[in-house]
Amino acid sequence: MSNKQRKFEYSVNEVPPPGQLLVLSIQHVMIMVVSLSIPILFCSQLSASMEFTTSLISLSMIAVGVGSIIQSVGIPYIGSQYLCPNLCGPSYFSLSLSAAWLGGLPLMRGLIIVAGIVEVALAPIVQKLRKVFPTYVVGLVVATVGVSIIKLGTTSVFGLAYYGDAIRSVDILIGVISLFIMVLSNIWGKGFLKMYCLLVGMVLGWLLALILVPEYWYNLLAVKNSPLFALPSFGPEFRGITIDLKMLIPFIVIAISGSLKSFGNLLAAQKISEPDLKEVNFVPIRKGLIADGISTAFAGLIGGMAVDTSSSNIGLAGVTKVVSRWISVVAGAIFIILAFSPKLITALSLIPKPVLGAAIVFSGCFMICTGLKEMFSQKWDTRKTFVVGISLIFGLSTAMLPELYARSPELIKTFFTDPLPTTTILAVVLHQIFNLDKMFTKEKKE
Amino acid sequence: MKTSDKIIRHHRLFRNFPRLQKLQITIFIPVILLLVITGCSGKYEELDLSMYHYRDTKNLVKFVYDAAQFLEKEGGAGLEYFHNNRRHFRTKDTYLYVYDMDFNCVFHSGMENLENLNLLSIIDKNGKKVSKLTLRALEDETNPHSWVHYTWWEPGKFFPVPKSSCHFKVTTPEGKEYFVGGGINYPQEEQEFMRINVDNAAELIEEKGHNAFVEISDPTSDYNHREVSIFAFRPDGKILISPVLEDSLAKIELLECSDEVGNKPFVKAVKELQENNSVWEVFLAKNRFRRELVKKCMYLRKAVHNHEIIYVGAVTDLPNPP
Repeated sequence: MSNKQRKFEYSVNEVPPPGQLLVLSIQHVMIMVVSLSIPILFCSQLSASMEFTTSLISLSMIAVGVGSIIQSVGIPYIGSQYLCPNLCGPSYFSLSLSAAWLGGLPLMRGLIIVAGIVEVALAPIVQKLRKVFPTYVVGLVVATVGVSIIKLGTTSVFGLAYYGDAIRSVDILIGVISLFIMVLSNIWGKGFLKMYCLLVGMVLGWLLALILVPEYWYNLLAVKNSPLFALPSFGPEFRGITIDLKMLIPFIVIAISGSLKSFGNLLAAQKISEPDLKEVNFVPIRKGLIADGISTAFAGLIGGMAVDTSSSNIGLAGVTKVVSRWISVVAGAIFIILAFSPKLITALSLIPKPVLGAAIVFSGCFMICTGLKEMFSQKWDTRKTFVVGISLIFGLSTAMLPELYARSPELIKTFFTDPLPTTTILAVVLHQIFNLDKMFTKEKKE
Repeated sequence: MKTSDKIIRHHRLFRNFPRLQKLQITIFIPVILLLVITGCSGKYEELDLSMYHYRDTKNLVKFVYDAAQFLEKEGGAGLEYFHNNRRHFRTKDTYLYVYDMDFNCVFHSGMENLENLNLLSIIDKNGKKVSKLTLRALEDETNPHSWVHYTWWEPGKFFPVPKSSCHFKVTTPEGKEYFVGGGINYPQEEQEFMRINVDNAAELIEEKGHNAFVEISDPTSDYNHREVSIFAFRPDGKILISPVLEDSLAKIELLECSDEVGNKPFVKAVKELQENNSVWEVFLAKNRFRRELVKKCMYLRKAVHNHEIIYVGAVTDLPNPP
């Protein structure tokens, strides 16, 4: 108990009192809401009807909710039992759009189901990779999970809606003040202020935005016109499931990349929830990946968008030291309930971007530092310097120089997609290469 | 710490709640009242900006609208204010100007030397008659903010700069007619700009039939700007104005054309045009310098002349969210 007292407000298996459980879950829901922009954007690019848009958002929210619950509640063989909620997966966005253009929603559904099955199939393989993930590589992967939210966090703090558009100083001010409220509540706050630092920052940031920018105030009018309760309607677009071989390979590649991303998230969740573990416990990671794959397939089955594990929520759990998995379960349940209330969905989707950006940056800080701490907790040597250095340089270059990769050979273009999968693949491969001599010596001795 | 301790600590905090309530009354109520007073009195209530995606575009329209409202109210005194506060009416990429209806420049915040000159015959680098296009745009109902697209340059520089300008016509209290305009360098391509071009071209075709094609195809006309150019075809796919090269060089089967993922945007659009008058269709295209496919959109509008149905359209890039 004394150990727990030092490390957590609520540990992974502890159930907070109902009131706190609810507010803590709402805090997580506020971050999960960020991903609702994905189905909204998806429908706007398809010029879809209002009815279709509402139904797709509702179904995606149900998939996210169910995914969050099965990931954390723990049923045999499925679910990591960590605080690791789901959200609409941004990595699937472009391909889902392509599939929808090519074969409508039935094709998108079919391919998302395949992607989910691929993720499930990859889960046992990951467990076999125990030896290729030494502690410092795990640390690197966790740090890169934090790095991968830089783009979303920064553009949101700046309130950027489209690339190349004007940026308002007032948005940056709102973002920075919201971030400072969150950080200072966490550093100097006590009790509920510390625990609900993100919620406090978001609410005050939202109020500030309403005062400073009339546009945010006007946007709220949309809430008035939305119904309080509505069931998703299954129009003709939602009927049928098809598969197109042309689109299969890109979806499988994205599924592999998505698995690596979820692998990084689950590693981070483990590090945060069980910091005393000397080595990675691959059993919950495998079960977590299975849950992630099942959630993705379920999303396709019911007609929602593909889901993914959420880095920001894991970061938030780390910062607040509240890692109870039951928060993820209740957050999932809230998401399912919200799916039937267009009024509440609209209200939450109107949280100003700079405030959401502050929340993402806030939780990203913890991920980066947890990873770096983990990485440098080991005795350092030249081999590790080169493994980490090379992996990071090329991994980060995918985000910093996307136009370079646009002209690169097809094989590189396929696997060097994002900082997280690229860094992970390179670190694993380079660790093996740079330690070949050690492996030979060890084998000789044996 | 035990759970019960936590609950006690939690309750202690809530003991201070009456104090928090007081704080709420003294701070939040005035704030909400302020919000209601300031936030709800919409300065731009009459100005519909919902058709624009980019803030740059919206800001320019608001900037010119404000100046037009001011000039309409203040008249000559307003013009004097513009002259005395020139720097308030220009930024690095935008500026304000006022012309009378004969195209005499009465105020130009960016290029003072143009004032008192008649610029009716001004032609841009690509041969566009800027004055003629502006005067037409001011009378055009499908172009509510009188957009004109042309090339200009930045004083002191030697290369052309693409520019989009919006305009508002004003009548001062003295009864003089002016138009107030503002331009932006390197503008973003709004879908609305393309909608205006296509709708105008469709109207011309409805009026003149095939005789309109020469004017619409002219790159210096107001139907084409930057990368946006009008094309036209019949429901059976027969091209009337080609979107690319003349189809005498190579046969183009528009209805068979597909995007990078095999989607056939024309098939979908034509099907929808059987029931609607206009349609927006999104498709994916390759860009050598980007690893992912880029999203583009097509706007098609139905025009009918002497019972002949002609589809008129154009293509542009879609805004790219982060």
